[in-house]
Formats: sequence, structure tokens, C-alpha cells
Amino acid sequence: MVTSSLLLSITTFTFLACSVLYMAGGVFRQKQLFFVGSMVASGSLILQTAGILLRWKESYDLGYGHAPLSNLYESLVFAAWAIMLIYLVLEYRTKQRSLGIFPCLITFLAMAYASFSTNVDAKIQPLLPALKSNWLIAHVVTCFIGYAAFAVAAGLSLLYLAKGKAMGSSNTGPASGFVPEPRQLDELNHQMVLFGFLWLSVGIITGSVWANSAWGTYWSWDPKETWSLITWLVYAAVLHARTMQGWRGNRVAWMSLLGFACVIFTYFGVNFLLTGLHSYATK
Amino acid sequence: MDQKHGFGQQLIGALASLKLTLFVFLALAVGSILGTLLPQGLSEPELQRHFGPGIAGWIAAFGLHDLYHTGWFRLLLLLLCVNLAVCSLDRLPKTIKLMSRREETLSAKKLEKFSTRYSLSSQHGPEEARSRIAKVLETAGFPSQFVPGDQGHGLIAEKGRWAPYMVYVVHLSVLVVLFGALLGSILGFKGFMNITEGEVSDSVAATTGHGQIMLPFSVRCDDFSVAFYDQGTPKEFRSDLVILENGKEVRKQTIRVNDPLTYQGITFYQSSYGTTLKEAEVEFQDKANGKSERIVLPFRQIRLIPGTQDRVQVVEYEQDFNRFGPAIGILLQKDGQKESSGSWILVDKPDFHGNRIMNYGIRVIRAEASQFTGLQVKRDPGVWWVYGGFTAMLLGIGLAYYTSHRRLWILALPEGKGSKVILAGRASKNSLAFEQEFNGLCERLKAEL
Ligand code: HEM
Repeated sequence: MVTSSLLLSITTFTFLACSVLYMAGGVFRQKQLFFVGSMVASGSLILQTAGILLRWKESYDLGYGHAPLSNLYESLVFAAWAIMLIYLVLEYRTKQRSLGIFPCLITFLAMAYASFSTNVDAKIQPLLPALKSNWLIAHVVTCFIGYAAFAVAAGLSLLYLAKGKAMGSSNTGPASGFVPEPRQLDELNHQMVLFGFLWLSVGIITGSVWANSAWGTYWSWDPKETWSLITWLVYAAVLHARTMQGWRGNRVAWMSLLGFACVIFTYFGVNFLLTGLHSYATK
Repeated sequence: MDQKHGFGQQLIGALASLKLTLFVFLALAVGSILGTLLPQGLSEPELQRHFGPGIAGWIAAFGLHDLYHTGWFRLLLLLLCVNLAVCSLDRLPKTIKLMSRREETLSAKKLEKFSTRYSLSSQHGPEEARSRIAKVLETAGFPSQFVPGDQGHGLIAEKGRWAPYMVYVVHLSVLVVLFGALLGSILGFKGFMNITEGEVSDSVAATTGHGQIMLPFSVRCDDFSVAFYDQGTPKEFRSDLVILENGKEVRKQTIRVNDPLTYQGITFYQSSYGTTLKEAEVEFQDKANGKSERIVLPFRQIRLIPGTQDRVQVVEYEQDFNRFGPAIGILLQKDGQKESSGSWILVDKPDFHGNRIMNYGIRVIRAEASQFTGLQVKRDPGVWWVYGGFTAMLLGIGLAYYTSHRRLWILALPEGKGSKVILAGRASKNSLAFEQEFNGLCERLKAEL
């Protein structure tokens, strides 16, 4: 029988295949490999969408009836889905397939961690009363769209830095001519960061409206909340640094990576190292 | 005089600078990180126990155990607001000026300078070409205006004139949110109340400090219930609340987690629950003379033991006291004595040797427990400012992302019988997307000319 966990396990491996295809395409400079990678990625995304929808239905069959966004496993799957979706839209709009290496790799890692780590429980569980709110769905979905955009932006930044290094040593470095021009990378990075900033803002705001309707405080300096604010501040700094003269390029790329490190810490570090309201999300 | 003027200018320059913005953003981030690494809300004795007196002294000196409410953290927020206000006031006039500037005439030479540029030939004369172009632009959402050209006929079209103002909306929204938060913290309150089923209360324990807040009305809890999932985790809490004004029922509502009640700007949230004692029937046996008396003790109410002036009161209740089952804490004040003494009395173990206070042996005949509901109570007159700011912020960032100010300059020059048309364009940002839009427009114009 086809279950959601079967579909999601398959996508773990197809995402691995995409990562390999994109990397091979980059190393051997073969556009055809990129093309195949892109096709596999699109197919995986469709499969994964089906898996998520099926899991939603299964939760109703179990009598719990909630959107598949309630624990670490489900959020990892959704994060992988969002990164892939945003990346493929970007690829479609820019026709630049070389941008795919990092997003595919991180999607695969998220799925692999969700499927194989002993820290992550893949069972469908019932919801605690505080989590029964449409605000929860809005909050989680929007935060993760933001995080996914930041992941793609981090990939662009890495590419920018790698390309800068390659150009510094010789004009015909491994990446030159095959990836977009630095100016375009910089611009795309900025667009992605602004897009992520928009959705992170929506995520923080829906979270705070939800907290206000459940507990009567829209802001309580809970560690997870605070870390999302830290992330938000770092990306605000990235957006503004670009407006200052001489801050384009490398510095903005490094700051964008710093921002992504904050995203990762907000997501994992807070759950495993700090405690607070959101600690339900550890299992 | 001159120097003072220079200093003022310099100060404004510093307060409007983006370097300061980056500094404040990163300082706030680092401060917030410290606050998540150290436990917040500990008292000074607790700090000393955790960290030893030396480090605890430093933590207390910088307020790191209550970091988000310290003066220096608030000062950073204030600095952000000042930076934001000064910067916006500094830039807004420049933006307005930039937006209202218009070319008086167009020349082919001017248009040559643009990087986004296109030219095509048309069989129509310049004037006809220009009006056809204006029509196409109209349908593409680019209202245009005629301007004289140096030889031919010129057009200027633009879209998204309000886009450059969106950052001001975002910046203003930050100030509005912070203003709302300030308003709430000055004029509002937050607190907690426990109401036993069937009881009425109008006093709220404030969350900050130890004060009591008296509500202008009272609240009764008619019923509280919890539902569980099969494997034992709670599924739903609910309380049936009634608001009373001068003893009259004015409002009746069931609240759940995520579904609070608001009355006169004060909101009640389902927050916790527990079990407490309603009343206990207790037997006191005076060991001195063997006389026994039974009394009914409502929770936390003082009664006299019949035939004496000794005052007794049930002050505590535990459902499971050190795994000995339920126990009640009784306080006894002997006649004429200042000090009272107390003890835990085990309900289910009447023969327990500790069931005594001074000269009385004590036995619980009957203990009637009841559930109480824990309500978070809040009044926050600033919340609508905060929500308004949130809305403006999202609209502003969304429009800043999805729109830009785009301008087109078009010149139709006579060329043989027809004309030569030069188009140039520029967007305030996201030039890649604009190039696509520009190319699309050129295709359509080619078909029309
Ligand atoms: C929490 C506070 C702030 C937030 C959320 C915020 C948000 C934003 C956003 C979303 C943009 C648009 C970015 C883009 O389109 O690429 C922007 C641009 C800008 N911000 Fe802020 N900002 C904040 C504080 C400040 C402060 C304190 C200053 C003062 C110097 C400032 C100055 C600017 C400038 C100069 C721009 C560029 C405007 C332009 O492109 O014409 N911002 N800000």
C-alpha cells in the first residue's frame, strides 16, 4: 500500500540524485546534467507534494485531523519542500540552472535528517490544545517560506564568494562563464533576502498574533521568538548594508550567510540547547 | 554660532546614518542572544546559587537576568527609533523632489545613455507613431504624457510612482509597533486569577510585582472540564465563565485555549487548571481532656473550635502529598497566642502519627475537592496600534518587494516617409525583471507600428 512515509522516503533518495546531478553538472560543466537534475527535482517536488497531502489525510484517518506541520519531522519535510519550490521558481525565471547545487543539497540533508535521525519522531501525533489554531498553520507555513528563501539566498552567496575567489586567482576559474555574473548574483541574492524578509516578517507577526489569542501576550521574549527576531535583525542589516556605498558583494554575501546560520540556530539550536514555550517541537 | 550649527549638522548626520543603523541592529541582536543564553527572570539569591557571588554580581550589574527590560536595551530601541525618524525625515524631501522632477524636452542624445534601450522603424509619421505608442502603453498600465522632442515627438510614461514611498511606510510601521508596545506597558496590565468552580472573584494577581488588581466587575466560573486523547495527553480545556456586574449576570461565555473572552477591554485566557479543596469536615480531639469536636472548614476560612477560642483554618491542599495521597494543611492559633502552628494532615491515613497540632489529634472525615480554572488576564490598550503597525509593515515590505518605480522615455523622429522610434527605460530596482517587461513592451510596439 502507498503510504505517505513511503513517498517521502523515496523523495529523500531522489533529492540525493538531484544533488549528485547538479554537482556533476557543475564539475564537468555539462548543461545536460543540469537539465536532467532539474527534471528529477521537479518530479521529486510533485512526489513530495503528494506525500505531504497523503500524510494530511492519514492524520484525519487516525482521528487527529491536523495539517502536517506540527512536529520536527513534519516541519523538516515542509522546509525541504519550500526550498525546492522556491528554487525551481527561481530557476525557471532566471534560466540559470547552476544555482541548484546548494538548494538541492540542503533539501536532501533536511529529508535525510528527518528520515534517519533518532532525534526525529516520524509518527503522526495529536495536537496539544494550544496548537489548535489556524494561526499555527499560517505561522509555520510563512516562517518556513522565509527560511527557505534564506536557504536559497545562502546558496547564492556561497556561489558569489566561490566565484569571486575563482576570478581572483585567474580569469578562467572553474566557475567562470558557467554561473551568472557577480552583479546578477548580487542582485538575485538581494531579491531573495528581501523576499525571505517579507515572509519571515509575516511569520513572526502571525506567530505573535497567535500568541496573543492564546496567551494574551504578543511578545514574551521566549528563546525561539527571540532568535527569530535576531534572524530578522541580521537580515534587516543585510538589506540596509547594501544601500551603503561599498557594501555590495562580498560583505553582503557573508552577512547573508551569517543570517542563514541564525536561521539554523533558531530552528535546531533553540530546540536542543535552550528551553522555552516552543520546546514541544523537539520531538 | 557657526560651530554650534556645525555640531548640530554633524549630530543629525550621525543620527541619520546607516552605519548607526547597522550598529543598532547588530547590538540588539547580540543583546538578545545574551538574553537567550542566560536564564531570565531569576531573583538575585537564585543567581548567586547558580553562578556564585562574583559572576552573579556582574550579571546583576548589567541586568542580564532581566535583560529585555533593562535601561540599556531600551536605550538601544530608542536609538533605533531616533535613527529611523531622523533618517526618514532627512530622505523624504529628497525622494519627493526626485519623483517630481520631469524632463522638459527629450533628445536622441539623452536616450543614447540608457542601458535599457531599443529602437525600431515605423511606416507611420512621428505624430501618428507617438499616439499609437501612447495607446499601447495605456493598456500596459503605463499612463503617458507628451513632451516636446528636439526634432520629433516625445513621450514619458511611468508606473508605480508610489513604490519609492513604501520604505517610508515600513519605517513608520516600526515606530507604530513600538509605540503600541509602549502604550500597552504603561496603560495596561497583565495578571493571573484562579477561580474554583462555582466561585466568584474580582481580584487578579499582577504578573510583575506582587500587587493585586481589582476588576471593575467580577467573574464566576460555573464549570471547568478537560478532555483527553486516548493516550492521555490533554485535548481540550474549557471553562464556562459568567461576568457579573453588581451581582447581575451580564455575559456568559465558554472559553477554551485560543478562544478567550473579552469584556470592557479586559481579556480572559484559558491558561491552566488544577484541583483545590472546597471544604473539609475535620475532627479535632483534645488530647488533654479527650473531647472531640467535628467542624466543617471551608477552604481558607477561619473557624473556632467549639467550646474554645482556638482558631483553625485550612490553608493548603495537595492532591498527592509525597505519595501519601491527599493532604490538607491546617493552621491553628491558640487562644491568646500570636504565633500559629501548622501541619499537613493526611486524609486517607487517619492513624498517621503526624496528624496532630499541639494538643489536638486531627482526623479528616471528608475532604471535598473541586477544580479551579487558571485564567490569564490582560488589558492592553496598545494592541491595536501594534496590529496596525504589523499590517502596515507587511503591506510596505510586500509592495517594496513586488513593485518598483518604472519610467519610459520615448522619442519618435522623422525618418524618410515614416519614423524612427527610440525607447529607453529605467526601474528603481530589480533591473532584471524590468528588462523582461521592457522587452515584452517592445515586442508589442513592434506589432502595432
Ligand atoms: C527595524 C527597523 C527597520 C526595518 C524593518 C527596515 C526595513 C526596510 C526595508 C524592508 C527596506 C527596503 C529594502 C529594499 O527595498 O531593498 C528598507 C530600506 C531602507 N531603509 Fe530601512 N528599515 C529599518 C530601519 C532603518 C533605519 C533605522 C534606517 C536609518 C538610517 C533605515 C534606512 C533605510 C534606507 C536608507 C533604505 C533604502 C531606501 C531606498 O532604497 O531608497 N532603515 N528598510
